[in-house]
Amino acid sequence: MLKILIPTFMLIPTTWLTPAKWLWPTTLAQSFIIALASLTWLKNLSETGWSCLSTYLATDALSTPLLVLTCWLLPLMILASQKHTALEPVNRQRMYITLLTSLQFFLILAFGATELIMFYVMFEATLIPTLIIITRWGNQTERLNAGTYFLFYTLAGSLPLLVALLLLQNNTGTLSLLTLQYSNPLPLVSYADKLWWAGCLLAFLVKMPLYGVHLWLPKAHVEAPIAGSMVLAAVLLKLGGYGMMRMMIMLEPLTEKLSYPFIIFALWGVIMTGSICLRQTDLKSLIAYSSVSHMGLVAGGILIQTPWGFTGALILMIAHGLTSSALFCLANTNYERTHSRTMILARGLQMVLPLMATWWFIASLANLALPPLPNLMGELMIITSLFSWSWWTLALTGAGTLITAAYSLYMFLMTQRGPLPPHLIALEPTHSREHLLILLHLLPLMLLTLKPELIWGWTA
Amino acid sequence: MLTRLSRLGPALPRLLSHPPARFVSQSKPTGAAGSTAVTELHPAADSAGHGEVSEYVKNPDYHGFSSDPVVDDWNMKVGFFFGISVALVIGATFIHYLPDHGMRQWARREAELVIQQREREGLPLIAENYYDPNKIVLPSAGEE
Repeated sequence: MLKILIPTFMLIPTTWLTPAKWLWPTTLAQSFIIALASLTWLKNLSETGWSCLSTYLATDALSTPLLVLTCWLLPLMILASQKHTALEPVNRQRMYITLLTSLQFFLILAFGATELIMFYVMFEATLIPTLIIITRWGNQTERLNAGTYFLFYTLAGSLPLLVALLLLQNNTGTLSLLTLQYSNPLPLVSYADKLWWAGCLLAFLVKMPLYGVHLWLPKAHVEAPIAGSMVLAAVLLKLGGYGMMRMMIMLEPLTEKLSYPFIIFALWGVIMTGSICLRQTDLKSLIAYSSVSHMGLVAGGILIQTPWGFTGALILMIAHGLTSSALFCLANTNYERTHSRTMILARGLQMVLPLMATWWFIASLANLALPPLPNLMGELMIITSLFSWSWWTLALTGAGTLITAAYSLYMFLMTQRGPLPPHLIALEPTHSREHLLILLHLLPLMLLTLKPELIWGWTA
Repeated sequence: MLTRLSRLGPALPRLLSHPPARFVSQSKPTGAAGSTAVTELHPAADSAGHGEVSEYVKNPDYHGFSSDPVVDDWNMKVGFFFGISVALVIGATFIHYLPDHGMRQWARREAELVIQQREREGLPLIAENYYDPNKIVLPSAGEE
């Protein structure tokens, strides 16, 4: 772990000590090298499941894909942010990169933690840089409101988790994930135990976000600068799914019954947020709601607690992380040219930016889960495991996939096809930077179809 | 219409205040074609100092990284080298040659060989008594 953590930490001195002129190339190169080194986590030789064990940190088949995704996202965020921070004073640019780096640092500690309380502390610590990124570098004044929503939804959800974790420590004597999986099942019978169950999962359900407690997400996404949107969609939401998978092993006898309403909420949310996407006018808001819809499917897959459900959830989390981040980057390329997120004001861009239209096409297809991309693999595994639990879920998941296809098509048609509005005259051509950025999202996604066992999780 | 256009954000007041500097005038006769038309489309910074000048006017090889052509070029090279050549190519090679965890791929290949062999010999794919029934200790029927 330290071979990644120390270079990540040393990225902060790099940021502050390099000459202003070479700030972006240097940090970009260093973060790419960190991302390359992070791939060594995938070499898992142990038979116990855990590898890279140290006193506080370890990786296993569940956390490794998410850790690699975290390390991959930092160079992409640096690549994406160059344009909109270019006009700021150099110290603010340095501060911006420092915040992104610290976010990666906390995320690695969160995904790698073996103690649940350390996971909790790092889970909370990621809020601070994200909040600063949203409220300091957002574009509109509504960003302050979005920051409040983001902070208080997440905090209100996670305070019960702290109490629940302390209670768990009292009952079992440990919070170590390495030993908790072998501890005796807890006798969970009373109403207080049911409250405890809810306390353990609420924080993650808010973070996912589950339909009903998702209102912070579209606001945060719309107001955040591009790097904030990228890391929020790609990694921070996955903290919720990861935490749920980790907690599930302790909640064994209760989840079977208590998860019913949450599964229904998650699947109902897939349909509702998909329908909201169909009538969105704001491009970033559409992508944000599509994230809620996909994460609803992930939540369903985790709560069903079958091996296929867990595997499908992990595959979908990784695939969705790359896809939605790519979509936010594409939306940002539009925003930097038209200074508007309203879809109706920037139509027919295929005429002006044809290669960008190709990227839009591939990203939309990935979003609607085109075979053989991992998005489809994940969705199918979750839908299958839900179907074998109850036939009725097929009505919800089936309608959900149909609506997903519909709004992905709607997004593509609205932005790319049709006549070019007359007010769009001096559009800048596309930059190599933007093509590189999208390529670095979509190429790993396509490569993952060739070796899906990397993101299979525990079943691999 | 104006209110709807105002969602354009901060760009709109500028657009409206200096319209001739921003829009292509079809009526104005221009003698030359090509490059001059482009420079008219993207005039150099106007007197107010707020006009956006396309980077392509200053640097035709602009890659979207920096307004300094040298840094821009280097940043592009660094991005493509470390992103594609180092991270993706070396990373994908490393992942392709990862050891076979738990010998799963070996087991799969071995199973396919066994299936082919048994089909050649006309045997069932798996013997009915894969486990020797004499060695399995079952509870007697009467016990609960």
